[in-house]
This record gives sequence, structure tokens and C-alpha cells, in this order.
Amino acid sequence: MTRTDTLADVLDAAGLAGRGGAAFSTATKVRAARASHAELIVNACDGEIGAAKDGWVVEHHLSELVHGATLLAAGRRRGVLFAAHRGSRTAQLLSAAGLDVLEAPPRYVSSEESALVSLAGGGLARPMTKRVPVVTGGRDSRGARIRPTLVLNAETVWRVAQIAERGAAWFRSYGTPTEPGPRLVSVSGYVATPGVLETQAGVPIRSLLDAAGGRHPGAPAVLVGGLGGAFLSPDEAGRLQWSRESLATVGAAVGPGVLTVLDPWTCPLDVVGQLLRYAAGESAGQCGPCMFGLPAVAREWDDVVLRPSRAGEDRVRRRVELLPDRGACRFPDGVGRFTASALRVFGAHLSLHAGGACGYPSRRSESRAAVG
Amino acid sequence: MPPSADRSVASPVLRVDRVACTAHGVCASLLPGSIRLDEWGYPIVVAPRIDEEVARTAIRLCPARALYLAQR
Amino acid sequence: MNEALWYASRAAGIASIVLLTAVVVLGTVVAGRRRPHDDSATVAAATHRWLSLATLAFIGAHVATAVGETYVSIDLVSAVVPFTSSYATLWVGLGTLAVDLLVAVTVTSLLRHRIAERTWRAVHWATYALWGFAVVHGVALGTAAEPLLRWTTALCGVVGLGAVLWRVNVTTHDRERRRAVAQQEWS
Repeated sequence: MTRTDTLADVLDAAGLAGRGGAAFSTATKVRAARASHAELIVNACDGEIGAAKDGWVVEHHLSELVHGATLLAAGRRRGVLFAAHRGSRTAQLLSAAGLDVLEAPPRYVSSEESALVSLAGGGLARPMTKRVPVVTGGRDSRGARIRPTLVLNAETVWRVAQIAERGAAWFRSYGTPTEPGPRLVSVSGYVATPGVLETQAGVPIRSLLDAAGGRHPGAPAVLVGGLGGAFLSPDEAGRLQWSRESLATVGAAVGPGVLTVLDPWTCPLDVVGQLLRYAAGESAGQCGPCMFGLPAVAREWDDVVLRPSRAGEDRVRRRVELLPDRGACRFPDGVGRFTASALRVFGAHLSLHAGGACGYPSRRSESRAAVG
Repeated sequence: MPPSADRSVASPVLRVDRVACTAHGVCASLLPGSIRLDEWGYPIVVAPRIDEEVARTAIRLCPARALYLAQR
Repeated sequence: MNEALWYASRAAGIASIVLLTAVVVLGTVVAGRRRPHDDSATVAAATHRWLSLATLAFIGAHVATAVGETYVSIDLVSAVVPFTSSYATLWVGLGTLAVDLLVAVTVTSLLRHRIAERTWRAVHWATYALWGFAVVHGVALGTAAEPLLRWTTALCGVVGLGAVLWRVNVTTHDRERRRAVAQQEWS
């Protein structure tokens, strides 16, 4: 058995799932990578809004991260690429350590798996249609060959090194049977001490927020998973757990490990509107349903905030329904999920607007500062 | 043989390469029951399991070569 | 007999340029126009493909009869290798070049789903050039004794040129949005 075969078996036993958001079985990906002689890209981009855990791994556990990458890439001809946004502290640290850095432009979708592969291949940092998984290669829409590449989140690669060192049993001693292992979470937004926390599946979300200084009682919601995630009402943030099962009850997911507390002074409808306008501008402009659909959702949202109505909400809902599974990547899916959850959690506040009241001091949201 | 084995010969799924698709609308015109178009002319695949013969015609006629068959 | 071949060659030639022009115009319609909520794109795409095969038949007949008749000297080699006929080397050569390019376009189109899309696309752009060569070939070789042939070919030239100019200038919502976003920072 080769080293990577044994490695995949250990990862299987540990039950390690990707920490980048998709939570796909790492062992399965590693086996597929071995079969295709895939290259390795370690994704340390922290692409989601409010994300910080990838940079934290690079800052505090770089040697373990590199060891994990070495284990995963055993036998690969090319060097491992460490992806980070150009000009970021993470990129600086990686570069200073003498590692090969894949510098991604400061675009939201540029840190997506196939966007990084495209960039590494000399193309633009935009997602590609995945007729077959990127780890097995395939061809892009113009028929050019895609180099088989294993793209793993930085935290995932760090966990690989830890599991190789301490064993599957150690990993499984954390979390739950279905979501084993220690996990990182980035808590940001309106909290006293934002930062990255070590946690595990099953803990009350309340405890994570408390560890960062606590959620202000006036905060209208907690955003789980950034722009591709979903909102929790204050009540839900107080009673739900940090787990797939618990978060699924409100249409949310653990995702890339980002918790953002909204500030109590800005109308959440404006926060959502700002983020939707940002999302519309971040489309890679390759797929119709995204490049036209996202600006349409943003416009529709602005309309319904300005002139609230049941019909207006339905119009937003209808547009949101046309987003999932109609692009080369999951960006429009995420924005759709985000918008649907905004309607759910802020529907009551929208009705207040209909009556002419809002109550929030600031009707003008401060760009991304309002949300981490 | 268990009943579930039969599903392995089920018709393949018609997929759209969204990067290649430029809203010609030929697919919806050929497969009106399975594909409809949004307001900008991009396909919404309502019923992805399509008779393979019909699917291959649509694949061949798409000017952008944006249709393909996948297993699931 | 030879006279029959001579006339057949001219007749097939005229039919070819008219059909080829129609194929090219249909091609520009498919490429440049988006009216997705009706069946016109399907009709245009299917007709473009079907008509191009019919055009090949007439071109085949035109070349075969031109080689077969002995009034002017065009041998089989010069029907395949451009600019090698002793008769009207340049004008016949343009016709041969057009056919050579058409063979490449046809083969890549028949094998479109087996080759890279960008390869098919690159070769397909040659259709504009080959059509141009065919028009010049037709106008130059049309004799003064039958002005109808020359004028028909010239008319094809005008119509085709109009379609090409339209295609170069037309834009679609899809193309515009892609272009606009592609100009942003992506690397």
C-alpha cells in the first residue's frame, strides 16, 4: 500500500470532511486525486465574508499545514500551490515561508475550487463548468483540458496532518459521530472580541458567540456562512447548536465556519440590500442565470424594502427560485439561500416598513463593516 | 437480482454547460416539456431525465454546444 | 457531351454560390440573433446544417463537371491544390482554396462533438473567407456572354457582405454582459 492509500484509509476512519463549506469526504477526494495523479492546491483564501480561519491556520500552524500538504501531495511532480488573495496577510506569510503562492484577485468567486484551478492553469480566476469533478480533470467549456487538481481548504489540510500524527480516534473524540473532529469558527461583526475559535460540532451557538464577547441583545440576527449562508433570529441563535442537523431546521448550514453578528444600529434590510448589490457585482459574468439573475434579485429586494408588499416578497421569492443549480458554481445558489433566509427572518420587520416604521437609527448601512 | 439494479439502466440526465450557454433557446424549442426558458432566454431544466434519442438531437443542434448527458 | 458538361458546371456553380450564400447568412443569423422564446433559432440552426450538406452536393457536381469537361483545362490536381491550373490560375485557385477550406469546415462540423470546441470554432471562422473566395471566383470567371451569372454572383456578394457587416456590429444581451464583466479584474 502506498503512503497516500494508507492516508486515505486513516482519513476515512477519522471521518474528516472538507472544512471549506461543501463538507465532502476528504478520503474520497484523496483517493480520486491519487487515481488521477492530481496536483494539490491548498485553499487559504478565506473567500467568504467574515472568514478568517484559513489565515489563522497559516499564522499559527504553518509547519503542520505544510506537513499535511506534503503528505497529500506525496509523489506529485509539481509543487503544492497555496492559494491566498493578493495583498492579504495570509499571502505575505506564505510567501515569507518560501511556499509557492497562487495569488487570487480580490473577487468573491475567485477562491472557488475550479476558479483556482483555472488561475493555476494560466487562465482567469473564474469558476469553470464541472462536467466531471475537478479532481479528475476533464475539459472546460472551450474544450481545453483541465489539469486534475485536488483543492482542499487550509483547515482541512491542517486536520490531515493532525490525524496522521495523532490518529483517527483522537479526531473522533471531538464532535459528533456524523460530524467528527475539531472545527474552527470565525466569529465576526458586532462582538467585543472577534476572532477564530476552536470548537466542534454539537456545541450551542450561544457559547461560540459568548466566547467572542457575546451577542448584543439588540442585534437583529446572526449570519451563519456569510453571503452564501443563512440568518438566525436572536431566538434561534440562542437555542440552536453548531451542527448540520440543528442548523438545517432553519435552512442554514455549518458551511465555511463563519458567524457574523449584525449590529443593532443598522436596519438589517439595508444590510441585506448592500450585500445583494455586492453579490450582483461579483458575478463572474459567465452564466446567464447569475449575471442577470443576481442584479435582478438585488433590484427586486431594493424595491420591496422601499415599497413593502406581499406581492413584492413573492417576486423576490420567485427570482430566488431561479438561482439554484443554474450556474457553473454554487455562488448563485448561496445568494439564493441567503435571500430566502433574509425574507424568513426579516419578514416581520419588512411589515413594519410597510407601516412606515423602521426603528433602526441608521438607514444607510456601512458597506461590509456592518457585516464583519 | 434486486429491483434497485434496474435503475442503473435509467435514461441519463441532460445537463447544461452554463458557461457555454448563450440563450439561443433551441433546447426549449425542441424539448418543450422538459426545458423552459427564463425571461432572458436561459434554460430551466424542468425534467432532466429525457429519452436519449431526443436528447442527442438537442445536443447536436445546440449552436453553443452547451448540452451534455451525465449519469446522474 | 462536352458542351453539356460545360453548361452543367456553370449551372452547378451558380447554384453553389447561391446556396453557400444562404448557408452563410443563416450562420450569421444563428450567431448574431437571439429570439429564444420562439422556434426561429431552431429552424435557422437546422436549415443551416441541412442546407450546407445540399451545398456540398452542388459544389461536388460543379468541381466534377469542371474537371470532366475539356473546353478549359482544369485537372483533378488543380481541383484539390490551389493555384495549380493552367487556366485562369488565380480565379480557379480561389475556388479550389474555397473548397479546401469547406472540406475542413465540414469535417470539423461532422466531428464537432469529438473535438475541442475551440478547434471547431477556429476552423468555422474560415467560412467567411471561403465564401469570399467563392464569390470572387464566381464573378471573375463568369463570362460576359452570360451576364446573368455574374450579376447573380455579385448579388450574392452584396447580400452576404450585408450579413457579415450586420454580424460584426450586432450584439446580444448575453454577449454584452459577458464582455462587460470580462473587463473587470479576474487575475
